[in-house]
Amino acid sequence: MTTTAAEKRSALAPLGKPFAAVGGVLSIVAAMLPWVTFPLNDGNWPDKSTLSFFDAPFALTGFRWHMLVLGVLVLVAAFAPTPSKGRVVRALGWGVLSVAAINGIYLVVKGGGFGAITAYKDVVAFGSIAGVVAGVLVILAGYGIGIEPPGNWRIKLSTPVAYLVLLVSFGAVLYAVSAMLTTGGVGAGNPYAGAIFLSFLGFAGGLLAALNGIGYTKWISHLSEEHRVFSVIVLLACALLLPFTDAGNEYWMTVAANIGIYAATAIGLNIVVGLAGLLDLGYVAFMGIGALVAANFSGAAAANFGIDLPFPVAAVIAAVVAGIFGAIVGSPTLRVRGDYLAIVTLAFGEIFTRSAQNNIGGMTNGSNAIPGVPQLSLFGTEFNKQLTLGSVKLPAGVLYYVLIVLLVAATMTVFANLKFSRIGRAWIAIREDEDAARAMGIRTGKMKILAFLIGAMLAGLAGAVFAHKNGTVSYESFKFLESITLLAAVILGGMGSIPGAVLGAALLFVLPEKLRDFEDYRLMIFGLALVLIMRFRPQGLIPDAHRRAELADENVDGTHVDELPKEAKA
Amino acid sequence: MSVLLQQLANGVVQGALIALIALGYTMVYGIIQLINFAHGEVFMVSSYGGLATFTLLPDDLKKSPAVALPLMFLGGILVAVVVAVVMERFAYRPLRNAPRLAPLITALGVSVFLQEAVRVWYPDATSNLPYPKVFPTGSLALGPISVPWTGVLLVVLSVGLSILLQTYINRSRMGRAMRATAQDPDTAKLMGINPDRVIVLTFVFGAVLAGVAGVMFGGYLNNINIDMGFQNGIFAFTAAVLGGVGSIRGAVIGAFIIGLIKTLAGQYMPGGTQYDYVWIFVVLILVLVFRPQGLFGEPERVRA
Repeated sequence: MTTTAAEKRSALAPLGKPFAAVGGVLSIVAAMLPWVTFPLNDGNWPDKSTLSFFDAPFALTGFRWHMLVLGVLVLVAAFAPTPSKGRVVRALGWGVLSVAAINGIYLVVKGGGFGAITAYKDVVAFGSIAGVVAGVLVILAGYGIGIEPPGNWRIKLSTPVAYLVLLVSFGAVLYAVSAMLTTGGVGAGNPYAGAIFLSFLGFAGGLLAALNGIGYTKWISHLSEEHRVFSVIVLLACALLLPFTDAGNEYWMTVAANIGIYAATAIGLNIVVGLAGLLDLGYVAFMGIGALVAANFSGAAAANFGIDLPFPVAAVIAAVVAGIFGAIVGSPTLRVRGDYLAIVTLAFGEIFTRSAQNNIGGMTNGSNAIPGVPQLSLFGTEFNKQLTLGSVKLPAGVLYYVLIVLLVAATMTVFANLKFSRIGRAWIAIREDEDAARAMGIRTGKMKILAFLIGAMLAGLAGAVFAHKNGTVSYESFKFLESITLLAAVILGGMGSIPGAVLGAALLFVLPEKLRDFEDYRLMIFGLALVLIMRFRPQGLIPDAHRRAELADENVDGTHVDELPKEAKA
Repeated sequence: MSVLLQQLANGVVQGALIALIALGYTMVYGIIQLINFAHGEVFMVSSYGGLATFTLLPDDLKKSPAVALPLMFLGGILVAVVVAVVMERFAYRPLRNAPRLAPLITALGVSVFLQEAVRVWYPDATSNLPYPKVFPTGSLALGPISVPWTGVLLVVLSVGLSILLQTYINRSRMGRAMRATAQDPDTAKLMGINPDRVIVLTFVFGAVLAGVAGVMFGGYLNNINIDMGFQNGIFAFTAAVLGGVGSIRGAVIGAFIIGLIKTLAGQYMPGGTQYDYVWIFVVLILVLVFRPQGLFGEPERVRA
């Protein structure tokens, strides 16, 4: 009735390498072809792609340079001995296709019709069409060559070499993050910023998937697992170096700090959802509780108590109060499971929103919010002021950035230590099979409440920082949609995985900044993305090494427990 | 006393509205164990569908309620059914055998998507939209209380349709197929039942009831907004849980209880109407904790 995947593959098999060759060459050619037939209203489409034909083949920049790189890589991957060749080629093909399609679609929309990317008034510009064709060919080539599981490198390195490899790899990550933030310019500077950014994302995503296919990312994560302390220091250093890169301006410091706050919260949620497998749909309420408590105890203008505690004390109180609420919200888990638990947490979240909106106990100031939460200061320097370090001028807000990087690092440490501890293993056991866990002597009720409590404390802490950084606290920031966004960050990144939560939070909170052109459609795309992720990659972008029984099929991705590094098993 | 009676009457009308939505939740959950979060949005979309139908009518038809009103119901129901079928086909069906978290998150995604789609694409949907005045006006006076005719119509429709649904499910061949699929999809399949058809039909029934509710909501409250789906969806879900998910009778009775709690708590509990919402959630939590199977549900079977 239908052609099976195997039949399709056998039909494509002989075409694999020829398709890869043609597609690779075509994407190189596409990089040099003109892409638009006329200058758009907002000026020339960037990177000289308007009308230019081979005018400077060696000075390609921007997306055309990306196309060229991808094309060359396709040729290399297809004809050099590459592990898991089909998977790598397919990933690169998706990169080519998305770069070409994003630019093409944007040009059609902005240019008012297909004339913009085909022929118009004796001028031809087939760059994007050639690119799309190339992308499709390369993807088919990937299927023709055959999709094998990602490569598995077993290279053992001496410690100094391993350090060097890790250093270079994390340096590349820093560079990529900085490039991602600055690409297309800051804010509304460049009329094409949104499309340029998306195109860059397509390029970066294709490369990353190819690296993953070749087995490089897995190898790096093994290495970093082996040299955990070193990698953590390097990663932390990379994060702290971001202010010194091109992204080091006030705007991106603010955005990065916000991402950090949500990343820390997402890691907390990851404990509840990812480790213990308890779906929490009202999680942002704990962040809200933390923020409100911190605001009330820090002498904010509209606070009721007139208590002015130093930040560390207020933050601890915020975390404790949020934790207490976490335990209360978690207590129904003793009797309620699965979907029903999700509904209970949703109900708690809604009760919080409603109560905060109505200024319960005079503590939330209702819809007027609590303004004037004092800025943090250290040795008389307020955290939102510019900072001069020797001769280097650092952007304003850099101190918040540093504080929040440390916060994220701290939550990561808590998460990692818990995950590989007795408690973490108990949570994972509960997630996989609660009855079996109980039979093994795990006190499931206590453990589940503990998960809620710790998750809520982390959220409360993040909320306290949030209150000081933003200066005002309103219930509006802690509504159902924020809970869903956080949950989406956890799922997008990969449940139970630490880098996943950070990546998910970064994507979900950077994208809206970058895509201001599409502001109206932001949430709609978000909803659609949730549906698509669940359909095509339910295990997330960086799946947890422990196979997710809840979301992933058997053997889709992830490692079997016996393949895990020793440390994880111990 | 008359305040109490009036609030009781209001509660019954609210309950009737919630019941129409709750039936969709309970049927879908009964068959595929999915909390279809997007069902509230189907109700919202149908309300806009009804409004759009009215807007598209020629002017002379707009003036005759006898023609305009049925057409609005038809339009609203049609939109709801199309949305529900598309959603079932493309969002839920591929996940039929996926672990249980996946469809729940998909449902949240669909819900956000539908709400945003209406906000962005329906003209002026960012603010409250007035609903056309083609509904019966005036009120039914019963001693000290008065109920608008739209409210009466709502109660009649709600009770009538749920009795009809219950009868259909108990008596008809298709209803038997539905019950069989709900009990054991694999065995039902062996008996020659096409589960895909049964499931689509379940979604269609839910959507038809939500469509009726959507148009009646506009008629009863006179204006609609895009938040109505989420709020009433949550109420309806609570009602379905309260009655015992999977039970038609339970959903209807649960809905009337929720309607009464909402109006009575708004009147008599501290905080007034600002906190009526909160009391519903408190009831929801209490029910889930102390009687998770609801008032009329069977105790939860242990699923593999």
